[in-house]
Amino acid sequence: MSADPLPPQTLPQWLVHNAAVRPDEVAQRHKRDGIWQEFSWADVRDEVRELALGLRARGVQRGQTVVLMSENRPELYWAEWAAQAIGAKVVALYPDATETEVDYVVQDAQAVCVFAEDQEQVDKVLPLMSRHTGLHTVVWWESGGLWTYRQEGLLGWDAFKAPARPVDAEAAAWFEQVIAEGQSQDIALLLYTSGTTGAPKGVITTHASLLHNADLIAQSVQLPQGCEYLSYIPLSWATEQWVGVTLGLIRPMKVSFAERPDQIQEAIRELACEMVFFGPRQWESLAARVHTRMLDASPWRQRVVDWGLRIGRLARAEQMDTTQRPWWVRVLLPLADALVLRPLRDQLGLQRAKIAFTGGAAVAPDIFRLFAAMGVMLRNVYGCSEFGLVTVHQGKQANPETIGQLVLLASAWGEPMQWRLAPAGGLELRGGAGFAGYWGKPEKSAEKMNGEWFQTGDAVGQGPTETELIYFDRVEHMSSLQGGHTFSKQFIEVRLRFSPYIREVLVVGNPSRERVTALVNIDGDVFGRWAERKGVSFTTFTDLSQRPEVLAQVASEIAQVNRTLPEAAHITHFVNLPKELDADEGELTRTRKLKRDFIEQRYGGLIEAMYADQTQTAIEIPIRYQDGRSGVLRADVTVGRISAQRISEN
Amino acid sequence: MTEAQRHSPMLEARDITLKFGGVTALANVSIDIGHQELVALIGPNGAGKSSLLNVLSGFYRSSEGDVRFEGQDIGRWPVHRVAQAGLARTFQGTHLLPHMSVLDNILVGRYMHMKSSLTTAFFYYPFAHREELAHRAVAEEILGFLELEHLRHHPVGTLGYGMRKRVDLGRALAMEPRMLLLDEPMAGMNVEEKEDLARFILDIRESRQIPVVLVEHDMGVVMDIADRVIVLNFGRKIADASPADVQQDEQVIAAYLGVHA
Repeated sequence: MSADPLPPQTLPQWLVHNAAVRPDEVAQRHKRDGIWQEFSWADVRDEVRELALGLRARGVQRGQTVVLMSENRPELYWAEWAAQAIGAKVVALYPDATETEVDYVVQDAQAVCVFAEDQEQVDKVLPLMSRHTGLHTVVWWESGGLWTYRQEGLLGWDAFKAPARPVDAEAAAWFEQVIAEGQSQDIALLLYTSGTTGAPKGVITTHASLLHNADLIAQSVQLPQGCEYLSYIPLSWATEQWVGVTLGLIRPMKVSFAERPDQIQEAIRELACEMVFFGPRQWESLAARVHTRMLDASPWRQRVVDWGLRIGRLARAEQMDTTQRPWWVRVLLPLADALVLRPLRDQLGLQRAKIAFTGGAAVAPDIFRLFAAMGVMLRNVYGCSEFGLVTVHQGKQANPETIGQLVLLASAWGEPMQWRLAPAGGLELRGGAGFAGYWGKPEKSAEKMNGEWFQTGDAVGQGPTETELIYFDRVEHMSSLQGGHTFSKQFIEVRLRFSPYIREVLVVGNPSRERVTALVNIDGDVFGRWAERKGVSFTTFTDLSQRPEVLAQVASEIAQVNRTLPEAAHITHFVNLPKELDADEGELTRTRKLKRDFIEQRYGGLIEAMYADQTQTAIEIPIRYQDGRSGVLRADVTVGRISAQRISEN
Repeated sequence: MTEAQRHSPMLEARDITLKFGGVTALANVSIDIGHQELVALIGPNGAGKSSLLNVLSGFYRSSEGDVRFEGQDIGRWPVHRVAQAGLARTFQGTHLLPHMSVLDNILVGRYMHMKSSLTTAFFYYPFAHREELAHRAVAEEILGFLELEHLRHHPVGTLGYGMRKRVDLGRALAMEPRMLLLDEPMAGMNVEEKEDLARFILDIRESRQIPVVLVEHDMGVVMDIADRVIVLNFGRKIADASPADVQQDEQVIAAYLGVHA
C-alpha cells in the first residue's frame, strides 16, 4: 500500500478502484433459482452507477438520507454504495423493524428515499409517506404481492433505474466526478443503537471510521485476499458494515448471499466460507447438532467420533493455553483428522474456515474446546458502534475467558487507539477513528465523553496479559463490596453455569458485605451419574448436595472461575442448596431467571452462616409438594470454603 | 365480479347431466365462470362437486349438456386437449411422483410446452439445451412464488402433506393455465397451512389474472376469499350467489342441516 499515492478515501471510491484494477474478478455471488449467480466488480460498478443515476433523477442530494430495509442481498449493498456515491448517508434497518421503529428513524434521520425489499417492507413505509413530506421515493425489488399497488413515488427496481438507461458519456462522467468529490470525513452511515435505554440514537459513522475499523480487522487476523464470506449479519449492525461491506471492498473479499435467510447453514457449507461470524447461540446450536446427530449414530461410530475429538482436543489444547502436546498425539492426529475431524468440519461447512469469529456474549469454554478440537479456533471480537473495534483474539491462541487483545494498530485512516480503565472499572478510549457523535443529539454525545476520552460504559478487567481484556458487565450493572471493590454478579454466574455440575447459582455480595459468596444449585442428574461412577453412595438430592466429595467438586469448579476474577471478587464461601430452585415456589421466573431478592430472603440463614464463617448450619424451609400438600424441609448444610491455597494450586 | 363479465363467461357449462348406471351424479347443472373470478363450489358429501370438476376438465364425459371454454365446445375433447386449451386442475389428495424432486414434479407440468423430441433431447441439441433452460426458469419462478426454493431438490415423498399440496398447485401453475380448477386444495391442512394457501390462491388471481374454481369444505376460507359461491346438493345446483347471500339462503341451510325445506 505504501507504493500508492493515496488509497481511496470513501467506499464508492474503493468500488471504482476495484472495478478499474480487477474488473473481471468475482465480487459478489447470490444464489438465485438454485444457482450461484456471479457479479464481477465491473458488474457491481455498473449496477451502482445506474442506481446513483436513479437517485439523481429522483432529486436525492448530497447530505440527505436514504433508508434501507431488506434481508441481505447484493441489491442492498448496491443501494448503500449508490447512496454513498452521491454523498448521501445511509440508515440500514433490521428487516423485522416495526412500523413505529421505521417511523421514528425516517423522522429522526429526515429520510427522503427508502429502498424496501418486498411487500412486507413496503407496507411499513407507505403510510409514512403522507406523514413525512420529505420522504418522496420508495423503491422495491421483489414484485410479489405488489402487482396492484399504485402510489405516487412508489417505484419498482427497473422503473427506478430506467432514467439511467442507457448510461451515456455525460452520465458516466458525472458518476466519476461525484464519487471523486467524496471525502473520508463524509458521513457514510447512521448506525442506530438498539434503544434499550430511551429512544434509539443514530451513531454518525464516517467513511474514515468504516475503513479504519475494517483495516484493523484485516491486520489483526491476517485475512487473506479474495477470502470467501457469506453476508447474513444485518447491515444495521456495525459488524456487517465493517466486515461485509467495507472489508469486502478493501481486502477485497468474495461476498456471497444465501437464497433465503433460512438457507444460511446450507450456503456456508456450499461455499465453504473462509471467514465465518456467528453469535454464541449459533455456535452452540452447531455444537448441539453434532451431539444430537451422534446420539442417532451406531455405538461404534460414536466411539470413533469420541476418540477423534479426544485426540483433537489434546492436539489443539495449546490454542487454549500453553500446555505442550504429548508426542503420540502428533502421530495420531492425521488419522483422527481423516476419520473424524475433517468430516465433521465438512458437515458444518467449516472445512476452509480459517477465521471464525464470535461476539456479543460469552461462549461456554466447552464450545470453544469442541471447535478447537475440530481445528477451528473461535476468536472473540468486542467493539461498539460508537468507537469501533476494541479487542479481538489475535495470533495463534484464543483464551475463551477473554474478549481478546486490544487492537492498538494504526491504519491509513486513523491513529492507534489509546485506552485506560476508569476507577469504577469502566473502559475509556481515545484515538482511533474516534467517536463522531449521535445524529442531532449533541447533549447525548457529550454525556458519553469524559474530557477527550470516550466512555464505553463497559466494565472490563485485565486478563493474563496487560492488553488482553475480560468483559464483566455494563458499568451500571456492577455491584460493589464494603471495601469499594466492584464486581459483576451476572459475569460470575454465567461462568459458573458453564460448568456441567452447576445448574443454577446465585452470587451474593453488596456494599454492606466485604466478600463475595454463592448459593449453588447443583445439577442432580450430572452429579448422580458422577456419584455412581465414583462409587459415592447417596439417598436424596439433599443428601447428595451435602456429600463432601460433591462439595469438593463444586469448590474446584468455583476455584476455576475465581482464577479469571480480580482478587477482591473471588468467591470465598459457598453452600449447596439442599433442594432445587423451583419456579413453582417463586424462586425462579417461568423463563428460569433468578428471583434474587426472594431467594436471598428465603435462604437468609445460609447467607448469614457464610458471612459468619461457620462450618455448618441447619435450615428449615417450607416447601410445597406437587400434590399441593405443604411441608418443611429440614437439613444440615455445610458451608464450603474456597481457600486461597487452592486457587494458586490451580 | 361485474355484470359485464358475467355476460361473456370464459367457461360455460349448460344443463350438465352425468349418470353412472342408475345413479344420477349431476342433474341439469349449469354454471358460468367469468374472467378473473374466484368461484367456490360447495355442497355436502356426494353432492357432485368433484364430478362437476371432472366434467369441466374432461375427465368425465357428461351424459347430456355441453361445456364451452372460450367459445369452443370442449365437452367431448380428450383430457390432454382440454389441458392444452388452458384448463389446469389439481386433484383431491395429491397425484405427484413421490420419488422425484419438487423441481422435477413441477417440470412435469411443463410437459405440454416442451418441443424437443426424445432424440433431440438425448443428443442435447443447442435448441434442446435452450428449451431446457427456459423451462427451468419458469419452474424456478413458480418455486419462488410458492416459497418452495429451499425444498427444490427434496423428493416429494419426504415432504409433509401441506407442502405436497403446494407442489401439486405448482405443477398446475407450470402449465401456464388460463383457468385453474382446484379440487379440495386445503383438505387435511392445519390452520396455518390453509392461511398460506388461501394467500397463494389470491396472489395467483392477482398476478396471473386468471379465474380460479375451488372445491372446498372449509366454510371460513370459502366465505373469506370467494367472489361467488355455487352450492350443489344431490347433483342439483341449489344456489349461485355472493358468499353473504348464500349464507342466508334457506335451501342451503336446509341442505347442510338436513332440514326439509
